Amino acid sequence: MSQQTSYPEGSALKGQITSRQRRGSAWQLAFQVSTIIGIIALIALLYNITNQAFGLVAIQNKVEPSSLVLALEEERLLSAENTVTSEDDNELVAGIASDANAIGFFGYAYYQQNSDQLKLLTVDGIAPTAESVQNETYGLVRPLYLYTTADVLAQNQAANIFLNYYLTHINEEIEDVGYFATSDAQLSEARAAWTAASGLNLQPGQWAAINPEGITGQLSVVGSSTLFPVNERIAERLAADGFAATVNLANVGSTAGLRAFCEEGTADIAAASRPITSAEFEACRENDLRPIEIQIGTDALAIVTSPENSFTTNVTQQELRTLFDTATTWADANEAWPNNPVARYIPGADSGTLDFFAETVFPKDLANLSKETLVELLTANISVGLGRRLEREQRFYDDRLVFDDPDLFAEACASDNPAAGCTMPARDQENVYELLLQEVVAPDVVSAWSLMDSLFARDEVEAFVATEYPNAELTFRSWLTLDFITSPQSSTPEFAGVRTAIMGSLWVVAITVFFSFPIGVGAAIYLEEYASDTFINRTIQTNINNLAGVPSIIYGMLGLAIFVRTLEPLTSGALFGVGDGTTANGRTILSAGLTLGLLILPVIIIAAQEAIRAVPHSLRQAGMALGATKWQTIWAHVLPSALPGILTGTILAISRAIGETAPLVVVGASTLIFVDPNSPFSKFTTLPIQIYQWTARPQAEFRNIAAAAILVLLVLLLSLNASAILLRNRYARRA
Amino acid sequence: MTSTVTGFANGNLAVEARNMHVYYGPFRAVKDVSLKIKTHAITAFIGPSGCGKSTVLRSFNRMNDLVATARVEGEILYHGNNIYSNDVDPVEIRRRIGMVFQKPNPFPKTIYENVAWGARINSYKGDMDELVESSLRQAALWNEVKDKLQESGYSLSGGQQQRLCIARTIAVKPDIILMDEPTSALDPVATLRIEELIQELKKNYTIIIVTHNMQQAARASDFTAFYNMDEDRAGYLVEYSGTNELFTNPKNELTEQYITGRFG
Ligand SMILES: Nc1ncnc2c1ncn2[C@@H]1O[C@H](COP(=O)(O)OP(=O)(O)OP(=O)(O)O)[C@@H](O)[C@H]1O
Ligand SMILES: [Mg+2]
Repeated sequence: MSQQTSYPEGSALKGQITSRQRRGSAWQLAFQVSTIIGIIALIALLYNITNQAFGLVAIQNKVEPSSLVLALEEERLLSAENTVTSEDDNELVAGIASDANAIGFFGYAYYQQNSDQLKLLTVDGIAPTAESVQNETYGLVRPLYLYTTADVLAQNQAANIFLNYYLTHINEEIEDVGYFATSDAQLSEARAAWTAASGLNLQPGQWAAINPEGITGQLSVVGSSTLFPVNERIAERLAADGFAATVNLANVGSTAGLRAFCEEGTADIAAASRPITSAEFEACRENDLRPIEIQIGTDALAIVTSPENSFTTNVTQQELRTLFDTATTWADANEAWPNNPVARYIPGADSGTLDFFAETVFPKDLANLSKETLVELLTANISVGLGRRLEREQRFYDDRLVFDDPDLFAEACASDNPAAGCTMPARDQENVYELLLQEVVAPDVVSAWSLMDSLFARDEVEAFVATEYPNAELTFRSWLTLDFITSPQSSTPEFAGVRTAIMGSLWVVAITVFFSFPIGVGAAIYLEEYASDTFINRTIQTNINNLAGVPSIIYGMLGLAIFVRTLEPLTSGALFGVGDGTTANGRTILSAGLTLGLLILPVIIIAAQEAIRAVPHSLRQAGMALGATKWQTIWAHVLPSALPGILTGTILAISRAIGETAPLVVVGASTLIFVDPNSPFSKFTTLPIQIYQWTARPQAEFRNIAAAAILVLLVLLLSLNASAILLRNRYARRA
Repeated sequence: MTSTVTGFANGNLAVEARNMHVYYGPFRAVKDVSLKIKTHAITAFIGPSGCGKSTVLRSFNRMNDLVATARVEGEILYHGNNIYSNDVDPVEIRRRIGMVFQKPNPFPKTIYENVAWGARINSYKGDMDELVESSLRQAALWNEVKDKLQESGYSLSGGQQQRLCIARTIAVKPDIILMDEPTSALDPVATLRIEELIQELKKNYTIIIVTHNMQQAARASDFTAFYNMDEDRAGYLVEYSGTNELFTNPKNELTEQYITGRFG
């Protein structure tokens, strides 16, 4: 028996099988590795997008909402009836002391001087004491600050010594002046900030030891009148200790002091009875100054009545708000109080105390203001030109105009192309609030961090913001929000949304599907069921197969030539008399949808052909054998059986269409449109185009919203696919 | 060709093939077949694999039209008309001459729909529920499926599926039912049931059945036609006569060899 015709036996057989198995395992491993590579690629993609779409942001307002409200509230305080306003504190004291129905407020220091003539009220049940002020359980407090910069400290030895002396002895003086001392903890924090900035490497014990004697030089301390007496005392003590430098103390108010410090460069140290505002901070930064903030005490407001007032010893903040604003009688603020008219005594408009009161007592939240108040704020803070534009977009009141001239407005409304504001109902409170935020407060993302940095390097981020943007607010932001999805496009990333793009994508895809699905399936049925095997049909088939591989940009050029140019009367809607004159001629949703329809047509045809071909022949025979016509058999049996396959192919094709950019750019997608598409003849943009444009913008935040838009696109794709799959499964189950 | 089946009256003639040749492209699969089929009788086609039994059977209701390359020459007379003449619509022929296939092929629809569909597309007027029930009863399937008419036809066993296909065919009330090896995919019990069913159906329908099962032909048919292939693989009719006669007293030597299992 010859070797060639035998099979391996025994150990040879075993070895042979093992080697075959090993080859199989190697292949299996290779497939597993490919799957894993695919999964890793997907995860990397998602990681990348998510990392951009969520994370910390530092947001800084152009104008603080609180300062907007403050100005308004002061206005109202001053104009309330039965109000005595005076810059002369003695006049106020005398007025309050003699009137049992009077109420007023002072800086706490001033109350102390006149405590024998006045009665101090507790606020929300808490009296101003060292403790209640320090821990801010007493509501009407404001911190007192000195501002300086590292440069000053490094260059001006006198300023250095002054500040050191100030921090060492402030708590011996401040209570005497009538303010409240800062806690030791806060003081050492302030010292640390100062030492770090000054470059002096001092241990806490070494502080007091620095001897001011014999130090000469020049030093100017400018600012708050509130802090002026404190500064004076420190300067006097220093001089007594032999400090020989010239100290210029200027009592010009906090705002002027900070201006001198940041903008004019004429102050070494600024004194302020409020924190520096973001605008002031920016002004400093523009001049390469980085202010160091040192809290040296706290001021409190005293709410006082006449000693003759017998009905109360306490007010709540709510009652304070009513008493100084709308109340005419005491009973308006609290029913338990008598029905006597309120007599109000307040410091004048130039006084920081009025700011202090308005700031601490009245809410700073814009969102709760009435529509009228918000419109007032808007009027005061935007240009008439912008106001007019906004008013023509949508009016503020149905019965009157705020910005526009009535005649001009009427004229604009009578024109052929009247503004939307002519017919739309007036804006509501929420709308005006949004406007105010956008146009006046204008919050700006000054810096943004990736999700990973936000989660794992939060401390560094916080430190960075504290030094670079101390007025900015650090919040965790999901760039993907409901607002983002429902807002139209905007040129500021803060307010930009993808609604226009989503609508554009949905419109375009709808047209794509309505065009390519019936035609594609129809062609597939013809080619599979009816076409005989002739040369022409084979040529058609080959062409379709090749068309599926043509680069999409070529379809864009085809679409531009056919739909945008040649068929312009049709695609612009002019043929139906519906296109609005301003749209970009043939560059409409219809053209885009048809172009993408052409693009995916071959894919749908091929997929449908495959699906139809896969329907067992026995099914057709069964139908025909019952006396059904060919079409009846196709309709009742072939198509339902092929439908799951056809739908699968269509889903893939649609996914491709949704993600396309190149052909749409060629067909003429609009770069910036703010109006939702509302017909096939509208201008359009789509999500991928929006994303493409955003990623090309220089501002970093556009990349964040691009990432968020990618997530929206993914979700849109997934939900379209999911619904198509559900549909498919329904058909598949019926079989 | 030896044919002894000429003795029945013209009124009993269901369908007749005259000098029929069938080609698939250039290949002649069936050559010069002539035979008459008697009404309300069961005629069996037997013969070795590939000799053209299915081809002949499909020619009777123009199912060969579904094969692009197929071509029929000669005549098939049904009610005196050639079904292959130009003015005949094959749809009407298939409506009159139904077919049950070798492999059960129910529609991917409910049992009810499987039966009702053919009736509906042929514009049946009458109570559909009744028609479905009577068809299923005639196909001896009613008792097994009456409680699950809305379930898929695929949920039935192979034998049940085949009876469903028979019920579906009966529902359009054809004259003739062509059956191409209807039991080849079934077990002996299911086979027996189908055979009994065919006997039952004979009262109302003319049946032509292709089978490889000699016992089945002998047991269940009234007439038997034996086909064979010549050297260029063209099938031809060798002998056609009453089943008893063909099995007990075959005229042709090939027939005898075939039924005794000596070739094929
Ligand atoms: N669709 C077709 N296209 C081309 N040739 C075919 C086709 N169908 C059948 N044939 C050929 O025709 C001849 C007869 O086939 P047919 O199916 O009629 O044989 P059969 O007798 O039914 O065989 P079996 O008993 O195996 O079913 C065979 O040679 C076969 O190859
Ligand atoms: Mg066959």
